[in-house]
Amino acid sequence: MRKRWGLTAVGAVITAAYLFPVYWMVATSLKDRTDIFSSPPKWVPWPPRFDAYHSAVLDNPVMLRALGNSAIIAVGTVIMTLLLAAPAGYGMARLKLRWTGLMMLPFLVSQLVPTINLAVPLYLIFSRTGLVNTQLSLIIANTIITLPFAVILLRPFFLRVPAELEEAAATDGCGRLGAFWRIVLPIVRPGLLTVAVFAFVMTWGEFAMGLTLTTDERVQPVTVILNQFIGQYGTEWAPLMAASTIVALPIVILFVGLQRLVVGGLAAGAVKE
Amino acid sequence: MGRYAFPAPALIYLLVFMVYPILYTFYLSFRGANAVNFLSGTAPFVGLDNYRAVLSSPTFVRTLVITLTFTICSLAFQHVIGFALALFFNREFPFVRLFRALLLLGWMLPAVVNASLWRWMFSGSFGVVNSLLETVGLGGLQHDWLTDPNTALGAVIVADVWVGIPFHMLLLHAGLQSLPGSVYEAARIDGASAWRQFTSITVPLMRPIMFTALLLGFVQTFKSFDIIYVMTGGGPAGATTVLPVSVYNLSFDYFQFGQGAAAANILLVIPLLLSIVYLWNRRREDAA
Repeated sequence: MRKRWGLTAVGAVITAAYLFPVYWMVATSLKDRTDIFSSPPKWVPWPPRFDAYHSAVLDNPVMLRALGNSAIIAVGTVIMTLLLAAPAGYGMARLKLRWTGLMMLPFLVSQLVPTINLAVPLYLIFSRTGLVNTQLSLIIANTIITLPFAVILLRPFFLRVPAELEEAAATDGCGRLGAFWRIVLPIVRPGLLTVAVFAFVMTWGEFAMGLTLTTDERVQPVTVILNQFIGQYGTEWAPLMAASTIVALPIVILFVGLQRLVVGGLAAGAVKE
Repeated sequence: MGRYAFPAPALIYLLVFMVYPILYTFYLSFRGANAVNFLSGTAPFVGLDNYRAVLSSPTFVRTLVITLTFTICSLAFQHVIGFALALFFNREFPFVRLFRALLLLGWMLPAVVNASLWRWMFSGSFGVVNSLLETVGLGGLQHDWLTDPNTALGAVIVADVWVGIPFHMLLLHAGLQSLPGSVYEAARIDGASAWRQFTSITVPLMRPIMFTALLLGFVQTFKSFDIIYVMTGGGPAGATTVLPVSVYNLSFDYFQFGQGAAAANILLVIPLLLSIVYLWNRRREDAA
């Protein structure tokens, strides 16, 4: 087929226009004060200056610790989500349970529930169990958001597993748990990976739970610290954009590295709706 | 019976950490709970007083209008632009896959990052939106967008549209991919114009997925908290206080937990009713 480079040119312009705010964030983070407050604006930050990254992130123990907190909370949430969602998705896809429709209901309804609605009761639960201001409380809270999404996304993957494979495993004396662990889970690995990526992305960016359930800077996630930063730094745009860029970085890396998997997984989920 | 052990942990998890909090919020909305009696659990029963207080407060109607304005404007632009992009990037040309993937970025980034960068874009002094207006000869419109009560909501909507476009594009593109090519071929042979093909084939066939995108988009946008809270905190002068922000303020700034719970239930019930109506209609359509 004839290559349609004209469309490519238009597509490139649209994409560049859409991504301009992201470019502007990174460009600003690489400027010094005089370049930021110049009119007309300096469109290309050349030569780049990394001072803002030092002051806002590298020499800022609060920000570094918050990045660590978010990493712990996000990885913890991914593990918890997979542990709960994989057997649930399998059970509701393959085991011909009675009341499957009814059991799916909480997972579907949860999409409607605003995070802020859960904040007060969760705070109460966590304060009674001594979990307020712990990373564990935020892992538990974030899993409420990721779990329903994970079950809904995984179910179609389980539905596609050929039944003969399970039957063969069962007759070989694997038992149901053995068949699930040794036969089914390896087959749905792409689904598990998609869920892991999304649970990580959602948790890394989560803000409302962190804001309402933690008051101690030592355990707060980086989104809450960044918001606090916005209040403190006001119009110091270079450090603010440097910090924002660093918070965005893990998502961009995941996105670039696993782009095909994520887009494919999402599209599959979207069509299943 | 052993089979039920598979879904049981996830179900129990949601019952404890989601269903119980929702029921507790319902309970709390009938109690005069405040900072003094909240943790001790001795808040008195007050009947419908909290709902009465929330619904009759002069700011409630304004909050609801702001919430609906935000939701409907944001959703409409997200959907129309997302649909246009889905159509354009549904064609085959070099690098189209790369562009489609890059266009998802705004949706994946943390809301606080997006809010932070849009604060800078809309900044009154040296913000790039003002610079761009100057460049195209509209310097007279230059403005401190987020601190003027007349423009703050519009600025927040622009930011949220930017964030939400990829979601609609993704869903609608998946829908377009599933349309049968043979129908278009037949239409072309009959001499139907591109616009005619769009209105007579694409839109009718896409209707179910459009409704799905709009419903999910409404639910998501109606409960938006992060981007507004970080961009404006609900200000200036309450100009961007949407319902979720007001729920937060009632509970975490004024410690009126009872009224906060009542407002939270109002926030939950509107998308819930909408979803029930949607599912009801869809079931009737499927049956017909």
